[in-house]
Amino acid sequence: MTETIELALKTLESQLNQPLETALEACARCGICAEACHYYRAEPKVEHIPAYRSEQLRSVYRYEHDFLSRIFPTWTHAKKLDETTLAKLSEMAYSQCTLCRRCTVNCPLGVDTPLMMRAIRAMATAAGTAPEILVMLADSAIEKGKDPSFFKDMFLDQIRDMEVQMRDIMGDPNTTIPVEKQGAKILYVPLAGAHTILPPAIVFNAAKEDWTLSIFEAANYGVFLADVNRAKQVAKRIVDEANRLGVKEIVIAECGHAYASYRWDVPNWFAGQFDFKVRSLIEVLAEYIRDGKIKVDPTTISAGVTYHDSCNLARNGGLIEEPRYVLSKITTDFREMTPNKAEALCCGGGGGLVALAEYTDRRLAAGKPKADQIKKTGAKIVVAACENCRLQIGDLNEHYQLGVHISALTDLVVRAMRLPKPLPGHEAEHLFEGEKAPVLGD
Amino acid sequence: MNILLISQLFALAGLLAGVYGIYRRYLETKHRALPADKSPLKGNPMHGVTYAFTVGMMPWAKESTRIHMIAYLRGIGFHVGIFTAIGALLISPFWGFLPQPLALFLVAVLSLGSLFGAAGGVMRIAEHNLRGISLPDDHFAIWLTTLFMAVTALGVQNEAMRVPMYIIAGMTLIYVPLGKIRHCLYFFFSRTFFGKFFGRRAVFPHPEPVK
Amino acid sequence: MTDTLKLSLDFKGLLCPMPVVKIAQAMKQVQVGESVEAVATDPGVMADIPAWARTSGNEVITLEKREKDIRFVVRRLK
Repeated sequence: MTETIELALKTLESQLNQPLETALEACARCGICAEACHYYRAEPKVEHIPAYRSEQLRSVYRYEHDFLSRIFPTWTHAKKLDETTLAKLSEMAYSQCTLCRRCTVNCPLGVDTPLMMRAIRAMATAAGTAPEILVMLADSAIEKGKDPSFFKDMFLDQIRDMEVQMRDIMGDPNTTIPVEKQGAKILYVPLAGAHTILPPAIVFNAAKEDWTLSIFEAANYGVFLADVNRAKQVAKRIVDEANRLGVKEIVIAECGHAYASYRWDVPNWFAGQFDFKVRSLIEVLAEYIRDGKIKVDPTTISAGVTYHDSCNLARNGGLIEEPRYVLSKITTDFREMTPNKAEALCCGGGGGLVALAEYTDRRLAAGKPKADQIKKTGAKIVVAACENCRLQIGDLNEHYQLGVHISALTDLVVRAMRLPKPLPGHEAEHLFEGEKAPVLGD
Repeated sequence: MNILLISQLFALAGLLAGVYGIYRRYLETKHRALPADKSPLKGNPMHGVTYAFTVGMMPWAKESTRIHMIAYLRGIGFHVGIFTAIGALLISPFWGFLPQPLALFLVAVLSLGSLFGAAGGVMRIAEHNLRGISLPDDHFAIWLTTLFMAVTALGVQNEAMRVPMYIIAGMTLIYVPLGKIRHCLYFFFSRTFFGKFFGRRAVFPHPEPVK
Repeated sequence: MTDTLKLSLDFKGLLCPMPVVKIAQAMKQVQVGESVEAVATDPGVMADIPAWARTSGNEVITLEKREKDIRFVVRRLK
């Protein structure tokens, strides 16, 4: 047995807890999960059935663990893991499953196929067969945590520029973007890039919130690698920052996997050192609107608007009604996609796929069901509260010529706040003119 | 010792072996780690578990079962038949005391179950996707359980069929922990984990709109 | 430096993590010692490119904020 295979099998053993063994044992191979998968919907073939995918890991598991399979491997297609099988498993888990859990909710037994795909990802990461770019992105995030001094000055410069921009937009010279403010109530963790800092900063200022901006980004590529060690190191930057500043709450930018990991995984990874409430920016927006902390004009956006449920936010995160509440307060023509909420289709960009250029064709093909769904709504604006989803839907927009405008939820809220000046870089202004102009596209 | 008694003892041995095998499986799985979830609740895990075993199993609860309603109902009928066959087997020494209408009802459920089983077995061979994901274990298991139901139905009506009935029952029960039929145990684990996961996160039962 | 510059790329409009993904791909197309130049608009690159370079065997030679964009040059070290 080579060292690679040994590492992979050792990782499988270390992952093999009650939920994973259950997922490996429970499937009856009834096949009704097929249409639940967006890969299968886009290209109906046996290899795209979730049960088929999980069988690939089960073959290896059975060879190692099942009495009957050990004496009669053909009976259960049990297979000894070798380099070729590991390469195939790895490619499948990273390029043909976005870990969306739609198959799980559609399975009569509730088989957790993504848990098995995560186990494969972990095996591949340990054995060195995971996609290089995901490893690089996780490692560079860890590097930023080790020594923030090499980027902090540049970061603060950008924030000062953004502050100037914000004051201009809000028409208020007293607004600020506090960084590393000791004792603030909220630590807001953005993504890399001004588009996830400026609009939330406007909202926090308008709500007169006691907040501070994190110098790190919420994205965590260790999660996509199913590498808890790396993922913990990436998350530790934020946990340490929150502890150092003594904040009460961590608010995560509009990002699916970051929310799901900070809300549902990080409290377990840092049990005892993690005494913060974690909320998504979406929940904060809903609260501010409900409590009247920010004023929004419900007639601002009268063009057709649809909402894409990020799998990490909705099905895996429980943020289902909050974004709809926000949209109900700022739009006049909201159109649901079908299916939606816990049954929503994955856009095809999850699981780190948008960062894997080598699988672009596969990703775009698998996004067709989502593109068709969007088209069917006839909406002109697609709201997605996840960066990866927005990137993917942006690509689908171009590839399938959907002709839609893709927006973050916060951006629309800022528009509805009717500030003296608009956010920079927003195209499709004609779609947002509300009562002042006829609605286009109807 | 007559052949009927031998076959009955074989069925009893099969039952004991099956129960013991499943119990061993249960212990092995329970022996594995169960990570404690310390993340703050949004919903209620127990409500999720209740949902998973009740409303969540209804044919209209999932897109997959709405699309494949007939296949799902066939599967339900098949499983009802299997559990009825096991129950019937356990009370087989007292079949002579069964009122005639009840005996007929038993035969009807078992016959339907075996028909559903045979249909499933044929589908597994004939349907492209199902054939593609099926293992020899799957084909064997469905035909074995179908045969078990069929001979039990015959055994209720005809004493001459009792020897083959007990032999097939014994074989089926011995096979339960060895092959795919052991998913009967993991069904409970799986739906429980499903319910806890989605219940905790307030995904199932479906949340109320924000007010 | 200009002797070793082999590729010039435009990442304007690309959001995180695409500038890092694209530059990582581009570095594979050049030899050790050669450089790639890129222009981006996402301010996230100011932190992400140096961090990525540190962990991936590359060196940031230039990273400058200009009026409307950010220009950087990266050299392949191994």
